[in-house]
Amino acid sequence: MNAIELSHICKDFGSFAIQDLTLAVPTGTICGLVGENGAGKSTTIRLLCGALRPDSGTASVLGVDVSSPEFLAAKEDIGVVLDEAYFPESLNAVQVGKILAATYRRWDQSLYEGYLKRFDLPGNKQFKDYSRGMRMKLAIAAALSHHPKLLVLDEATAGLDPIVRDEILDIFNDFTREEDHSILISSHILSDLEKLCDYIAFLHQGRLLFCEEKDRLLEEYGIFSDTTAQLECLLPEAIVAREPNGYGGVRALVRRELAPVGWQLEPASVEDIILFLVKGAKQA
Amino acid sequence: MKALILKDIYVIWRQMKYFLVMILIFSALPSGFNNAFAVVYAAMLPYTALAYDERSKWDQLAAVMPYSTRDIVLGKYVFGWLCIGAAAVLSLLFQAVLALLGSRAFAPAMMAMAALGGLCILAISLPVMFRFGVEKGRMAMFLVIFLVCGTAGAIASIAASGDAAKFASQGAALVILLIAAVVLTAVSIPLSQRFYWKRMG
Repeated sequence: MNAIELSHICKDFGSFAIQDLTLAVPTGTICGLVGENGAGKSTTIRLLCGALRPDSGTASVLGVDVSSPEFLAAKEDIGVVLDEAYFPESLNAVQVGKILAATYRRWDQSLYEGYLKRFDLPGNKQFKDYSRGMRMKLAIAAALSHHPKLLVLDEATAGLDPIVRDEILDIFNDFTREEDHSILISSHILSDLEKLCDYIAFLHQGRLLFCEEKDRLLEEYGIFSDTTAQLECLLPEAIVAREPNGYGGVRALVRRELAPVGWQLEPASVEDIILFLVKGAKQA
Repeated sequence: MKALILKDIYVIWRQMKYFLVMILIFSALPSGFNNAFAVVYAAMLPYTALAYDERSKWDQLAAVMPYSTRDIVLGKYVFGWLCIGAAAVLSLLFQAVLALLGSRAFAPAMMAMAALGGLCILAISLPVMFRFGVEKGRMAMFLVIFLVCGTAGAIASIAASGDAAKFASQGAALVILLIAAVVLTAVSIPLSQRFYWKRMG
């Protein structure tokens, strides 16, 4: 079963539109949603959480149609962290805990208090006095403390220092040890996604360019770095995008299967692949 | 819905403390307008909560949590009713104490009228707030302030009418206000739900 299934979703805002978005996140996996600012990541997340209604297409989460009345109960199993949507600023962490205890049937107060302690979050400090990192930590603690089966995280690691970020990535990894637990995470920190994800979905200008297994993606592409003349020996369709390498030569993302056998290609990181794909889309 | 009401109480708790002091001061003043104003003003507290929600984009967060549109909208009404009810009871108790001390007359009918007036204001203005939001609904805010002051003034003038006319006019005003509050609220809640649903589109 898929934890998330979006099928031919369209949503038009006039100046921006999500176009024919079809995406499936298998249960038990972590999927990273990447794309430039304004590519439609947050909109996609809001659509699959039922916070926005699509113009056409269908969405189901944990096997429940998002537009059905039953989805309200299914939200008990979804933990969400949204970018720039917070608890009202005059609240503090203790009050947030009381509100969420009255919201979720499976709210685990001791687990929540454990996260507050672990993240060094003061219980009585008002939310408006929290730094962005502290706000995200509180949102993560809240999202995890009602024992969800699916975590939907929109830029949840933004604003966190590397040490805390690493700790939180470990928490997310632990979360998916349960076989029915899944995560969809959007982030600009591509190294985090490389560390964490099983799948990478790439959105560009409201369209899903691909959703592939990370390992397959890393196998599919390699980095070429040499002279322009050598690069020109390759089939044009083998070259995704290119840029000067800073030493008078060229650096390019190359499809391994279209490169001649024996060509030396460096391994590409997820960051390389995404950056070159965006460049390729712009050069096209 | 309980969670949402709890959230609103926490959100405006600081203002509530000042509001409680204001109720006591206004209730103590020997003026019908001020006494009614203390209760009618409570109808404005849900807008303060809505303004906080808007500033933190709480509505977006609430939309991904297990709250229905009905819960979110009705929660604001119930919160408003609780504020008006609490203000009326508190004001009434304080005035009863002052009456017992012999410093003034006790006027429960006027407080009842003020509470019903507050319910009418809430029913008229909340759909506008759910349609446009607090930021965009500034004009509606002026309407609310006008309604608050106008209602308090009207109630004060009814209360100030002569003894013979007083009973009849207060009785009629109470019945009219009660019917108006019930009808307006019955129309207002589904309208607010529709506006909120559309706005969250």
